[in-house]
Amino acid sequence: MTSRRKLVQNTRAAVFYTIMFAISLIWLYPYVWLFLSSFKPWDEIYTTFIPSHFTLKSYTYISTVASQVGYPFVRGLLNSIFIAVTVTVSVVVTSAIIGYAVAKVKFSGSSALFNFVIYQMLFPGFMFTVPLYVVIRSFGLLNTYAAMILPSLMSAWGVFMFSQSFKSVPNDYIEAAKIDGANFFWVVFNVMVPLSRGTMAIVSIFTFIGIWDNFMWPLIVIQSHQKMPLAVLLAVFNKTYGSYVGPILAGSVIQTIPMVIIFVIFRKYFLQGISMSFK
Amino acid sequence: MKNSVRSLGKVENIKGWLLSGPYWIFAAIFFAYPFVWLVMLALSKWNFISPRKTVWLDNLVKIFQDPMFWTITWNTTRFMLYFIPMVLSLSIILAMAFSKAKHFQAFFAMSFLLANVSSGVAYSIIFTQLFSVNGPANNFLYNHFGVFIPWFSSPSWAMFSIAIMVTWKFMGYYALIFLAGLQAIPKELYEAAEIDGATKWTQFWKITLPLLNSSIVMVMVLAITLAFGIFTEPYMITGGGPLNSTQTFLMVIYTDAFLKYQPGYAAMLSIIAAGMSFGLIILTRKLIERKVEFS
Repeated sequence: MTSRRKLVQNTRAAVFYTIMFAISLIWLYPYVWLFLSSFKPWDEIYTTFIPSHFTLKSYTYISTVASQVGYPFVRGLLNSIFIAVTVTVSVVVTSAIIGYAVAKVKFSGSSALFNFVIYQMLFPGFMFTVPLYVVIRSFGLLNTYAAMILPSLMSAWGVFMFSQSFKSVPNDYIEAAKIDGANFFWVVFNVMVPLSRGTMAIVSIFTFIGIWDNFMWPLIVIQSHQKMPLAVLLAVFNKTYGSYVGPILAGSVIQTIPMVIIFVIFRKYFLQGISMSFK
Repeated sequence: MKNSVRSLGKVENIKGWLLSGPYWIFAAIFFAYPFVWLVMLALSKWNFISPRKTVWLDNLVKIFQDPMFWTITWNTTRFMLYFIPMVLSLSIILAMAFSKAKHFQAFFAMSFLLANVSSGVAYSIIFTQLFSVNGPANNFLYNHFGVFIPWFSSPSWAMFSIAIMVTWKFMGYYALIFLAGLQAIPKELYEAAEIDGATKWTQFWKITLPLLNSSIVMVMVLAITLAFGIFTEPYMITGGGPLNSTQTFLMVIYTDAFLKYQPGYAAMLSIIAAGMSFGLIILTRKLIERKVEFS
């Protein structure tokens, strides 16, 4: 009797895990297909799953030939890295400082600032696309890196996240540091931020991924291929050279890899970030 | 003594304004100033070059008379009708599977979440290839079931295919939201139901689903926000076609403002789209949000 029940249980578990693995593999399939296909000889992209031999042809094409016809992908990758790193560093630093002002400095505007930050987060970003373009244009910044970087240098969401996290740090820590003669910036970056490492990780990851994957805004403000981030350059290349599937897939791999690496390294914080966003 | 306390307060006050000063300036330039422009544009006729003409609510009237507005409203509605039931049911099932899995949890979570960090441009390219007429998806279907599906080339399928892609991307994320909701349900409720002889099926409908209410509302709000913000997928894959069946609010805002040089019309349309999504979220909360008490 018991052995029979155990058998039923084991079969159930086996079926359950088989189904789960099968579905997980289906979910991973697009990634695997992309990765394998970017190393295939071009005539095998649709015909085989595992390539007959691995070749770097698509990658050499996209890094050398494409730039000769006006699509500098290596530069596009560097552009993306430059923009994403600048914005991420700026958002983390400014959000920490302003979050500190909201949470720990008693001044006449502190609750107004907090309310304003929340109010800003209510508006969907797409409402500002057209007017922001007009503003950037009136500053004469169209087709510059500044157009992609300036509007994202500070973030209401980042300020909100840091201020929430700083509120839970006891004031004694700050007083103790002040008695030891620490100045303000030392307090923020050597006392407060290390105590809120999780928040810092979450703000960095989501800002980096958001700006790396930002597509519509740079598409609107940048005309020159030299200044385009990778996502936009890839999209523009795809429009004109759609039949060069191999190089396009290689470009997609390069576009995807930094996001996946960041996700894999910081997955603990990523999960935290998801659960924080619905608390 | 009293004096020094007061001056300390003064110092704090100055410090607070100095620290938050850059943010106020930043928000004035990149939030308040564009906000003023948004309102001015919405009430104007302009082509970026000739002098701007204030036309008050002409743009609003023009939008409601424009068949394209009704097309994109219908397309967005269709997208939500495909996407929300699909992603809601699948991610609840997935969350229940997650909570049952005793082994390989990390692997399962990773496989589904990896989709969520895919780049919009890259995953549009992947799905264009996978769902192309001779692509792997159709090869599989043809070899095993003898059918072809015109994923992106038929007006009746294209939006559904986009809904499938977006489901692929967000199912794992939403499932984790539901998983947190499931873990908050007290186990005693199920034990009590078991004793009363309730089947698993009844338990699901009478305990699990009602107690997941706040997670369901949360996912619905995320899904509605997402539906009004779709741009990359139709831009990359269908260009809004076939027969405008995948035109979305953002596609039309982009086209009107930057290809047809009608920023006034586009600004008004973006206000309407934001208003519609906001209204729909409030309606959803009114209709399905319940105060749930765990006792």
